Amino acid sequence: MTAGGPLGGRATSVAHAGGHGAVLRPRRGAALSERLAGRVFLACAVLAGVAAMAVVGVLAWESAAFFSQVSPARLLTDPSWTPLAEEPRFGILPLVAATAQIVAGAAAVAFPLGLLTAIYLQYYAGPRTGTVLTAAVTLLAAVPTVVYGYVALNFVTPALRGILPGIGAFNAFSACLAVGVMILPTVALLSRSALAAVPHSLLETGMALGAARARVLTRAAIPAASRGIAAAMALAVARAAGETMIVTLAAGNQARLTGNPLEGLRTLTAFIAQTSMSDPAPGTIEHHALATVAAVLFLGGYAVCALARWIGRAR
Amino acid sequence: MTPLATRDLLGTACRLGAALTLTAAIALLGVLLVQALGVVDVGFLAGAPSRFASRAGVGPAIAGTLWLAVLTAALSFPVGIGAAVYFEEYAPRNRLAGLAGSALANMAGVPPVVFGVAGLALFVRGMGLGPTILAAGLTLAMLALPTVLVTSRTALREVPRGVRDAASALGATRWQVIRRQVLPAAGPGIVTGLTLALTRTVGAAAPLLVLGAPAFVTHAPRTPGDILTALPTQAFTWSTRTEADFAALAAGTAVTLLVLLLTVNLGALVLRRRLR
Repeated sequence: MTAGGPLGGRATSVAHAGGHGAVLRPRRGAALSERLAGRVFLACAVLAGVAAMAVVGVLAWESAAFFSQVSPARLLTDPSWTPLAEEPRFGILPLVAATAQIVAGAAAVAFPLGLLTAIYLQYYAGPRTGTVLTAAVTLLAAVPTVVYGYVALNFVTPALRGILPGIGAFNAFSACLAVGVMILPTVALLSRSALAAVPHSLLETGMALGAARARVLTRAAIPAASRGIAAAMALAVARAAGETMIVTLAAGNQARLTGNPLEGLRTLTAFIAQTSMSDPAPGTIEHHALATVAAVLFLGGYAVCALARWIGRAR
Repeated sequence: MTPLATRDLLGTACRLGAALTLTAAIALLGVLLVQALGVVDVGFLAGAPSRFASRAGVGPAIAGTLWLAVLTAALSFPVGIGAAVYFEEYAPRNRLAGLAGSALANMAGVPPVVFGVAGLALFVRGMGLGPTILAAGLTLAMLALPTVLVTSRTALREVPRGVRDAASALGATRWQVIRRQVLPAAGPGIVTGLTLALTRTVGAAAPLLVLGAPAFVTHAPRTPGDILTALPTQAFTWSTRTEADFAALAAGTAVTLLVLLLTVNLGALVLRRRLR
């Protein structure tokens, strides 16, 4: 340790890994740490499993209480969701449709912009523009969603009002734009990794055959990376569907769904945020509805993530 | 090249797309900075929320967010990295272990707000913690755990097989191989994943709102048992106010949070350089 000077740590580690004393005749203590290490790592894995099971269990438990009062068929077919009405109705379709509208709008922004940004970063950008653009995308990824919601409510909507005078103070359009920019880094950064993984030989073959750059990209590089790009888009969809703060702040709390992007709407996530802020008493049907909507979001997010992992891995 | 380049429609589209992305980032940052400029000063950073916008500050919220960051890291990092080492280095290569690993990895797709609902039932009500820093820290740790696990596993998998084989061939035991070779080699990748998990969860407002974070907390939390307050929820509370003064406070809070998150990123960058 002392003889190694500034490299002391490294020198010792080499000596340990290759040293005969540590290898051929393990001390008793070493054997103990060996057994202990395996157990500790197993315990960590078990603990992670327990945490996941706890989330699943508590959602299932409360959803079961909900379904003892509302049948699953009612949940899936009733056309309105009015938990606070005198005769509350629990049809989840309006909430799901609102979430789908936000996802579609956000995808319309993020898919083209994200993919074009990824292609630009991978194949067109010079070193300096590349650094600046990567920093910008990384910054967008670091911005908390509540900040996007704030900007959508206070700046995007007023700006849109100049172009679309009929737009409401809470509207889906502004929320879609903000959610789109929020998921843009997911599409751009993951698509870029997929493009970067395309073998160089493939591009060189295309170039050698005399194809123009754009042709090599559209016919060889992008198809070769298509699975990774699709996985990136699936993950972006999952993030958009689970986004809560932007829709709560900018899209409002209108239970009725008109399909008009200039009006407000209420997504699955916004229902959870707004209902829990009114602090419903435990044991009420409203509280159980909260957990049921959360269970639906859980299943959706879990399934899309599984799909994205499967698309990304399968060859 | 030039005659071809002039016909490069894709190139033009890519330049346009990249320019729009850059514009969005600059516009977002610009709007926030202009709004926050007149707000963020020592009084704002040290002061407490107030009915009067001119006197309001984010001192308690900063303390709350720092507490949450420490708790989330302390609870999720060891467990997540430990589980990743188990699945990559110890778990038997069979179907059951593969399924368990996938089941945990897919938790990363579950929206943050869902963890809020679970945390409300488990910690706030079930364990009777109430809407405290500790309840929120436990909830955020559950939220961060899948990301820590997935990114750490990726980092461990990227360590070349040869490193393990070489160390084993020299007689190192499994734990020696992991401690001396694999973990140091995977270090920079693991740090990247930890940073991502920490900044995502500490910036999340939705789970904290669901846990019942009060809108108005004037005392900085001193222990994890104290009442929950944090920068994201403070930004939300002020965002919902219609007065322009409070909108500026929300921007100031947002910028404070963003600076905090970027500091974490910068710290990680330095740490990564040192580990490499």
